[in-house]
Amino acid sequence: MIAGRVIGEVWATKKAPGLVGRRLLLVSVDGEDRVMIAIDTLDAREGQAVLVAPGSGGRNVIQPGPDNRAVLCDAAIALLRDDLPEES
Amino acid sequence: MFLAKVIGTVWSTVKWPELGGLKLLLVRPYSLEDLAGALPAGVARAPEHDGVVCADVLGAGVGEDVVIAYGHAARVAVSELLPPSTPPSIPIDAAVVAIVDRYAVTKPA
Repeated sequence: MIAGRVIGEVWATKKAPGLVGRRLLLVSVDGEDRVMIAIDTLDAREGQAVLVAPGSGGRNVIQPGPDNRAVLCDAAIALLRDDLPEES
Repeated sequence: MFLAKVIGTVWSTVKWPELGGLKLLLVRPYSLEDLAGALPAGVARAPEHDGVVCADVLGAGVGEDVVIAYGHAARVAVSELLPPSTPPSIPIDAAVVAIVDRYAVTKPA
């Protein structure tokens, strides 16, 4: 999984049908200059330290497998970390 | 997924038959520095990193900000918007899945 911190959110009206109703959060990857977008089902807030599950692991967060290959997700927030304080 | 700006279009005549008619865009991902550099106005610096070629079935234009999905999610996004007769094995690894209206970033520590 990828360790990161929630830094923002993205809103879009025009999107793939598979993304309708999904909350898209901007997550800055720890120790890198990279920002990824992860689907959030856990109500993560900005500044929250999280672990992101990429690939099919992220799909399992949205809908447990194995029959979830039609789910549109390549990264999802899998857990909110308690071991790191929230930053704002 | 990642946030990117559309910077161009890619044309090709000779290509894998299953890619026929599929629009290809050149996009540049936003880095943390791009997004955090322009705060608090909320308008990011133009990204300067390596480009990514992705399929587009939503009709994004040059200059727009988009969400790109990669891998299997990209193929799911494209195949759900193409006719059901399209083979599911399209050879793409990145696709536009949303055209961004707005995004908000708080300054990271």
